[in-house]
Amino acid sequence: MQQVFTKSMARNIFLGGAAFFLIIYLVLTYDSWQQIPKRDHADQMTPAVIAGKYLVDTHDCIGCHTINGEGSYYAPELGNVYKRRGGAFIEAWIRAQPTGVAGRRQMPQFNFTQSQLDDIVAYLKWLSNIDTNNWPPNIQG
Amino acid sequence: MKYSSQKVAMPYFIAALALFFGQIVFGLIAGLQYLDGTFLFPDLPFNVTRMSHTNLLIVWLLMAFMGAAYYIVPEEAQTELYSPKLALVTFWVFLAAAALTLAGYLFVPYSQLAAMTGDAILPTMGRGYLEQPLPTKIGIVLVALSLLFNVTMTLIKGRKTSLNLILIGSLWGLALLFLPAFYFPDDTVKASYGWWWIVHGWVEGDWELILGALLGFILIKMTGVDREIVEKWLYIIIAMTLMTGIIGIGHHYYYIGAPAYWIWLGSIFSALEPIPFLLLVAFAFKMLLQRRREHPNKAAMLWALATPIVAFLGAGLWGFMITLAPVQYYTHGTNFTAAHGHLAFFGAYAMVSLSIISYAMPLLRGREANSPSAQRWEMTGFWIMVFSMIVITLALTGAGIVTAFLQRSGDNPLGFMQVQDKERVFFWIREFAGLGFFSGLLVYLGSFFISGEYDYASEAKQALSA
Amino acid sequence: MKTASSAQPLPGDFAIWVFIFAELLVFGVLFSAYALSRMSNAGLFDASQATLNRSYGLVNTLTLVTSSYFVARATRAIRHGRSAACGRWLGGALALGALFLAVKLLEFHDDFSRGITLSTNLFYMFYLSLTFFHFMHVVLGMVILGFVAYRTYAGAYDANRYTGVETGASYWHMVDLVWIILFALIYVLH
Repeated sequence: MQQVFTKSMARNIFLGGAAFFLIIYLVLTYDSWQQIPKRDHADQMTPAVIAGKYLVDTHDCIGCHTINGEGSYYAPELGNVYKRRGGAFIEAWIRAQPTGVAGRRQMPQFNFTQSQLDDIVAYLKWLSNIDTNNWPPNIQG
Repeated sequence: MKYSSQKVAMPYFIAALALFFGQIVFGLIAGLQYLDGTFLFPDLPFNVTRMSHTNLLIVWLLMAFMGAAYYIVPEEAQTELYSPKLALVTFWVFLAAAALTLAGYLFVPYSQLAAMTGDAILPTMGRGYLEQPLPTKIGIVLVALSLLFNVTMTLIKGRKTSLNLILIGSLWGLALLFLPAFYFPDDTVKASYGWWWIVHGWVEGDWELILGALLGFILIKMTGVDREIVEKWLYIIIAMTLMTGIIGIGHHYYYIGAPAYWIWLGSIFSALEPIPFLLLVAFAFKMLLQRRREHPNKAAMLWALATPIVAFLGAGLWGFMITLAPVQYYTHGTNFTAAHGHLAFFGAYAMVSLSIISYAMPLLRGREANSPSAQRWEMTGFWIMVFSMIVITLALTGAGIVTAFLQRSGDNPLGFMQVQDKERVFFWIREFAGLGFFSGLLVYLGSFFISGEYDYASEAKQALSA
Repeated sequence: MKTASSAQPLPGDFAIWVFIFAELLVFGVLFSAYALSRMSNAGLFDASQATLNRSYGLVNTLTLVTSSYFVARATRAIRHGRSAACGRWLGGALALGALFLAVKLLEFHDDFSRGITLSTNLFYMFYLSLTFFHFMHVVLGMVILGFVAYRTYAGAYDANRYTGVETGASYWHMVDLVWIILFALIYVLH
């Protein structure tokens, strides 16, 4: 009997196809794992960078900002903010929050210590050197 | 409803709708904060509004999926649920965990919440959608394990239909794909790469399988079409989902620091991702045309047929518009992505949840279908919500396009806030459409309070006199 | 039991043709992407292409074409009811498939020892991902052929029932066809 597309055939294509592409993905991910530390200069992840990252995570910065385009679209991109504004401006800005200007978007005051601010800037500086295939298109992020 | 243990689905569905209501309220606040940055500040900073909005979405969808599983698995397996009591306990645990987490977001500063809940021991917090403190994340795993244990035991002692295998298999996938939430390396690029295992793995992979299974179940029940046909379609659709979607994850890897080859691989495979959604539309309408019965629950049929269409628009079309690397170069990290996110989440996952609720709730309340007037309310709510969501999508798309042109391109790109100021009209439209959505939701929820059941005799009389 | 009569336009199970069509679509898109990016990087592509060892590619082309011939002979054998011969031809095709994989692995080893990765340049990105993607298809094709060969030995096919053999053969020919295009496009054309 010449069978037309049976259910078990469809199931086999599903299982086989999923396994097939999963293997390919795992191989590609293995390769990506070798490449990423080179592209983001993992060797420059100093204790300050790691501490800064932890502060950025635990204050939910991506709840308003984006980092390399990921996060929320309420506030500017942080991936290249170090190159856009420089470390001193960033520190002063964080200290000055909230601006309290009527109607403007507000950022909370987090009461960071000086060494915490240094860590955050170190992290943002590290972020700005990641090879992101030339994204964002310009300094405005 | 054929088995009394299916009744445990009811609290899940009711809680899902309540949380859905909460999600929309936070959405309205967030939309207003886009327009007036001082609104509710500093009591409710935007990031807290947003995480409440997105986390409520996830929790109510999970509630609906779990309710659907507890409803569908026994009926498919033709046996009572292994342990209805466990399902009920799990429900209360899940609801309590969700409420506590939300209270934590609202009343404790996020960094303090992190410190209180042991984030320093195993850092997991501070990522989009995964903002939950460590105890909540562990709770989610335990709740999922309880569900999996319960439905798998039910499956083992009962009939093993393909639909049940797909549903339970994809619930296992859902739980497994959540585990990378506990992997948060210091390397931001690796962290982001791995974050997509969960987010992409769920919404562009595993959840599409759940979507297919729920829709398949509703269509089998409502159209009376032979299950062999439905299940064969399902396998083809989910095969296409994974064959395009697994490498399609590459469209998230273009500009986050991952290797450049993802630009090509991601573009090629993710461009094919709309195919399964197109097949889903074809499938639903083919089943409708081949129907062997007229089901009195017109509202559920409307939901079930509209789900693949809106899902195709939101996930397929809007996703395709921003998936190719040269386009995404400009749209990445703009409200265009938010537009796609809104219509895709609503069209695919919110609507399929509302479909199964619309189908099952009358049965759980002891009638095949609601009274025609209740159904009219429900369908009015449907149209208002769908229309409003499309307007929200268009408004956010407009905002995204303005950012792409003014901030991302040109010789004199403008700064972020300057561009945001130029997009205010779109944010106003979005907020009004949000209010529209909210009113649609109220109409929809109101339909549950219109009593009476579908009366064949009076309907037939009306049809004759008309 | 009905044979696959002349009224049937396609040999083998219909599902495999849907699958083959989808496969050709994906490979078609990949090949087009290669051609498209080559247009703007012709110099780089030519220079990188020159570093490939074409004898590997040539040996593998001959291997696959021969295995395709074996598979065709297997199909003919089963149509005449000679299932033992069919099994032998399939076994030969499988052996050639294994030879292909071995040669290809040798070539990959050469490439990697030259320090080539997916990130070396755009040409190698395409070269490695296309050949690896095809490599996986040869593996899958061998799984299918192996299953068909097993069923042949088990006596599942005869002169009246041979859809399975045709199905496996169709897939294998597709794998062969893709390789021929791949070889011409990536190893030869410049």
